Amino acid sequence: MNLLTYDFVVRALLGALFTGLAAPAVGTYLVQRRLALMGDGVGHIAVTGVALGLLTGTSPTLTAVVVAILGAVLIEAIRATGRTSGDVALALLFYGGIAGGVLITGLAGQSAATLNTYLFGSITTISPADVWVTAVLAVVIITLALGLSPQLFAVAQDQEFAQVAGLNVRLYNLLVSVMAAVTVTVAMRTVGLLLVSALMVVPVATSQQVTRGFRSTLLAAMALGMSASLGGVAISAYVDVAPGATIVLLALAGFVVAYPVGVWSRRRQRIARPFADDPDDELALGRLLGDQHTVVPETHGHEHGQTCGHPAVPHGDHVDYVHDGHRHAPHGSHYDEH
Amino acid sequence: MSTPADLVVEVVDGAVELGGRPILRGIDLVVRRGEVLAVLGANGSGKSTLVRMLMGLVPTCRGEVRLFGTPRERFHDWYRVGFVPQRVSAASGVPASVREVVASGRLSRRRPFLPRRREDRDAVDAAIEAVGLGDKSRDGVSTLSGGQQQRVLIARALAGVPDVLVLDEPTAGVDVQSQQAFADALRSLTDRGATIILVTHELGPLGPLVDRAVVMRDGRVAYDGPPIDAFTDADPARGHAHDHHHPDLDLPGSDHSPSVLSPLDRARQEERS
Repeated sequence: MNLLTYDFVVRALLGALFTGLAAPAVGTYLVQRRLALMGDGVGHIAVTGVALGLLTGTSPTLTAVVVAILGAVLIEAIRATGRTSGDVALALLFYGGIAGGVLITGLAGQSAATLNTYLFGSITTISPADVWVTAVLAVVIITLALGLSPQLFAVAQDQEFAQVAGLNVRLYNLLVSVMAAVTVTVAMRTVGLLLVSALMVVPVATSQQVTRGFRSTLLAAMALGMSASLGGVAISAYVDVAPGATIVLLALAGFVVAYPVGVWSRRRQRIARPFADDPDDELALGRLLGDQHTVVPETHGHEHGQTCGHPAVPHGDHVDYVHDGHRHAPHGSHYDEH
Repeated sequence: MSTPADLVVEVVDGAVELGGRPILRGIDLVVRRGEVLAVLGANGSGKSTLVRMLMGLVPTCRGEVRLFGTPRERFHDWYRVGFVPQRVSAASGVPASVREVVASGRLSRRRPFLPRRREDRDAVDAAIEAVGLGDKSRDGVSTLSGGQQQRVLIARALAGVPDVLVLDEPTAGVDVQSQQAFADALRSLTDRGATIILVTHELGPLGPLVDRAVVMRDGRVAYDGPPIDAFTDADPARGHAHDHHHPDLDLPGSDHSPSVLSPLDRARQEERS
């Protein structure tokens, strides 16, 4: 059976391709500013948008985009003014969004099943017009994410530096928020509002297990997101399972495979790192640090700590231990006399 | 004497309020080209706010700040300024290589969407070499030591080939050996005639580089002149006595940020006093 002869499968694969590429591209910047759950927050807010669409009889996608952008800008505003910490702001909007969505859907006289197609995706019912909207928005998002990557990278990496470099920090922050909101609503039909954040974050988490640079992380995450999306749709076409959930589980499987590789390569790097920057010659160190910093070349049978029984004396930024009539402080590989 | 073109920074009667609390008052400061200025002072004295005011990161409520003769509000030649903010780490949520972090220092000279030019790449290479990290340019910044990360941030500021380098606590939390390497990197810059403004707790190995010190106390300039011995630990007879920063245990919070209290907290505090 050749599945590609079915139009709805082709449409589903195209939708998956574009969302799979766009979601991790935006997700990389969210993870970089340690706002990995922002996609989730925006997704929850978009539920209210979908419900408003159902209530007013307009396109739920359109109302979801508008409400999601408003929500994302609100999250950014709360974060930027710094009155509430980012995660509390997200939590407030999470619950408001989902409760509002359920309430308004009830008012609209729609069943929970209608809402479910948006919460968990229904890529097989995607229309040709939906595919076009998805493709255009995804191309715009990918163009911005790649074309402005030096600027977006700098702003997320160090906001103050970016500001002094003359970048319009507020504008770029807002841009990332709006891109996240648009991505969420684009991916709503593919993986659903409750799982969209997974497609934004999990490929990034997977790729950064094995990459060392930002650009390689971004590109690898996009490739991983695309493979998971296409693979998930293909599997769900053969086996009767939910495509959205399959996509997310495939992405998570990628992480489970990559994580041990990441642990192993980081361990290898640590072992291979030379000690050249850290002269361990204790006499040289003693001379360098002067007479107040006496290195004691005696060996210890144990490491001083809370359980060793020697009296502990807090001393500035470290703790000394009284030991054979003098105070000792652990310092790297040796003990200092104080 | 100096011509107006030599003036890098001018502050006339500058004052800063944060959250309604005066942080800086009556600041008059002129920095000329080629000067190496150290801003010293205890935690909460306003030294960090002073450079943040110069960089436009905090608004002034009085007075005027001029950069290269242009009022700060109308100053757009940010490529002439290299800023090293006070940070513990150069790492963020996603891995980034040394080269990528340093390359963001070129953004003040680049336009969005245009690819980097040959001179951008050369400047990034030169900046990485200048701080002695040439063999690590492809490494992830999070795998480097604290001192090396600090040098990455300095290379980022150098990549824009700035006329003035502004550093906020560049040696905080950096061990003595790395401070020495850092001092050597700065010396090669001052030898080329760069202007440097440096905020620091204590000069340590940087002492010999500095030719002017400003000491902040309670938001005012308490001393402005040549660095006196008391500020430097560079006396070889005494050695580098400090390998750590002494915590200011009696000062609440860090660095003069206004404490944010809810109305209830404030009421209770007032009752008590």
